[in-house]
Amino acid sequence: MIALDLPPLVAGFGRRLHDAGLPVTPERAARFAEALKLTNPVARTRLYWIARATLLSDISQRPAFDRVFAEVFGTRAPEVQAPEGEAREASDDARPGTPREGESGIGAPGAGRGEREVESQEAPVPVLASDEELLRSKRFDALEPDELAALYRLMTRLEIATPKRRTRRSQKARRGEHIDLRRTLRGSLRTGGHPIRLARKRRRIQPRRIVMLCDISGSMEPYSRAYLQFLTIAGHDAEAFVFATRLTRITRALATKSPERAIRRAAAAAPDWSSGTRIGEALRTFNDRHGRRGMARGAVIVILSDGWERGEPELVGREMERLSRLAYRIIWVNPRVSAANFVPRAGGMAAALPHCDALVSGHSLDALAEVIDAIGAERGGEPPPVPEPEEEEEPWASATPQPGSSVAMPSGYGPARGRTTPGW
Amino acid sequence: MNDLEHYAPDVETLARRLAAVDYLVDEGLATSLFLSLRLPQPILLEGEAGVGKTEAAKALAQVLETPLVRLQCYDGIDAAEALYEWNYPRQLLSIRLADSAGEKLSEADLFGSDYLIRRPLLRALEHPGPRPAVLLIDEIDRADDDFEAFLLELLAEAAVTIPELGTIRATHPPVIVLTSNRTRDLHDAVKRRCLYHWIDYPNPQREVEIVRRRVKGASETLAVSVVGAVGRIRDSDVQKPPGIAEAIDWLRALELLGIVELDAEALERTLGSVLKYGDDQEVLRALGLESLVS
Repeated sequence: MIALDLPPLVAGFGRRLHDAGLPVTPERAARFAEALKLTNPVARTRLYWIARATLLSDISQRPAFDRVFAEVFGTRAPEVQAPEGEAREASDDARPGTPREGESGIGAPGAGRGEREVESQEAPVPVLASDEELLRSKRFDALEPDELAALYRLMTRLEIATPKRRTRRSQKARRGEHIDLRRTLRGSLRTGGHPIRLARKRRRIQPRRIVMLCDISGSMEPYSRAYLQFLTIAGHDAEAFVFATRLTRITRALATKSPERAIRRAAAAAPDWSSGTRIGEALRTFNDRHGRRGMARGAVIVILSDGWERGEPELVGREMERLSRLAYRIIWVNPRVSAANFVPRAGGMAAALPHCDALVSGHSLDALAEVIDAIGAERGGEPPPVPEPEEEEEPWASATPQPGSSVAMPSGYGPARGRTTPGW
Repeated sequence: MNDLEHYAPDVETLARRLAAVDYLVDEGLATSLFLSLRLPQPILLEGEAGVGKTEAAKALAQVLETPLVRLQCYDGIDAAEALYEWNYPRQLLSIRLADSAGEKLSEADLFGSDYLIRRPLLRALEHPGPRPAVLLIDEIDRADDDFEAFLLELLAEAAVTIPELGTIRATHPPVIVLTSNRTRDLHDAVKRRCLYHWIDYPNPQREVEIVRRRVKGASETLAVSVVGAVGRIRDSDVQKPPGIAEAIDWLRALELLGIVELDAEALERTLGSVLKYGDDQEVLRALGLESLVS
């Protein structure tokens, strides 16, 4: 019942999948063809599973894959329950660049402002030249579109650094806490098998992971454009999510060199731009699906939101508590903090506050510096692991007699080094 | 290869043989494992915790009647812990012995295979056959990027390079099974070299069959009500949905206590074997435990 002419079938199917956003390489297509030869698919379900095993690389690609399979082979995929959420999350990933409803969130300032609370606003001063000084202190919600582009350029100068943690990997260090047998032994070959010098190592120190959760609901709309840009500069090991009514992981969407493209892709991935907010719901999804599994453990969490919650504040409190048990520090960035008469009255904000390690405003480029300081701060009471300055490999002792010394002593053991006995 | 052909001539036979060692598979998993053996190609298994990802590798090893070599990944794992390490105390000793006997010892002597400690990856590669060993690289997402990059050569070529010894190529390339819990995205380069299968929770009938095979002598009615309750717990609002492993533990606990019928009281007594979080137990109590046992 399956077409017998394999190569065109494989090629066509592969191309359709590729168009649907799946990373089908010729290598994978060839593997698919080989698998078909091995198994002689007598039924469509068998064909389905062969194709899936060889062409899929992540469960998140399943919806797109199923759709194309149905189109090409005219049958629905066998009923298998989708892992809820994962599949949805991914169908968005699977189609980068596909325009979606609600994408207007980025390019169109002004949409969805209705929800915004009235607050102290500067009078709209028309800015002709993008004066850097002015731009630095200007509130993000008062930016014109062309100023936004200028802001992006300024923002790329910011550098985000997280606190350090000790990893299990080790590196050589002159005064490290462990003996590096491997190097000691290597060195001992030069001194006739006597391990005269003990090489040492210490646990390597690495920056902690940073996880950013950005509110893109209607009330945050004027800020979220600028904040998304902030997410893109967070660097290598960063994870980024956006939420309004639901949570979307945009880490992959942001992984591109061009900031404009990153933001366009992120916008396409999140279907709920400028809608209402369910912070508690989003936090729960994050905790359940990502945080608990390890992403939040020991990480610095940055939540960018005004704390306006449509759902119950109790849920926000509960989920923040869970998150605070996993994370190293939680930093809440709320642009409304900058208002002179700010009190954390918004239900979600009030519930979340007890579990935050820092609350900062980040309403302008200058204020973002404060955010960066908060990200880099150590947890109270914990001394930071002191990174030993990178040092050069200690030269191995030579067995040549030192001029002026009567005994053949390896260099480096003189009293000048403050040690009178070798350390073993 | 031909030997594997004998052990897995087609998908149905493989599925039957897996069932014979008490590992029940659906068509999807059977097809994926079959392809992994016969193409041959490493396979990446993902799925919720406790759906039997690790068990799949164990069952494969049983079917093929070969050893299972398991590498548990963790943060910071490196080549010295996964692949090989030199036996330094022994090397030192040899140096001293040679010294006192007045012999000359060259570096090549010291870094020979006598002094090599073989960690799981190397053991799997050096397995003498006749059939390949099954290499389980468990929870690869716990290791870091560097380690993934280090695995690439192994995945693609069934070979590893040890600076002192050169490249070691497997005579019988191992059957490689990787598992991941999706705590982070794996690198595309790793995925590209693997087949992929997402293991779903099985349907209730199959799950009953699975737990009854694992808990010998358990009554069918009890197994059915356990699987039903576990299914309802998965649908409820718990943080950590119980997997098949938990269902098996639970049934075993009930058997041990001599409980013949699952009621609210029995559930209360044994809740700790299904739900490992206090919060989750609260969620269920709030729902009413009776609602789980219909």
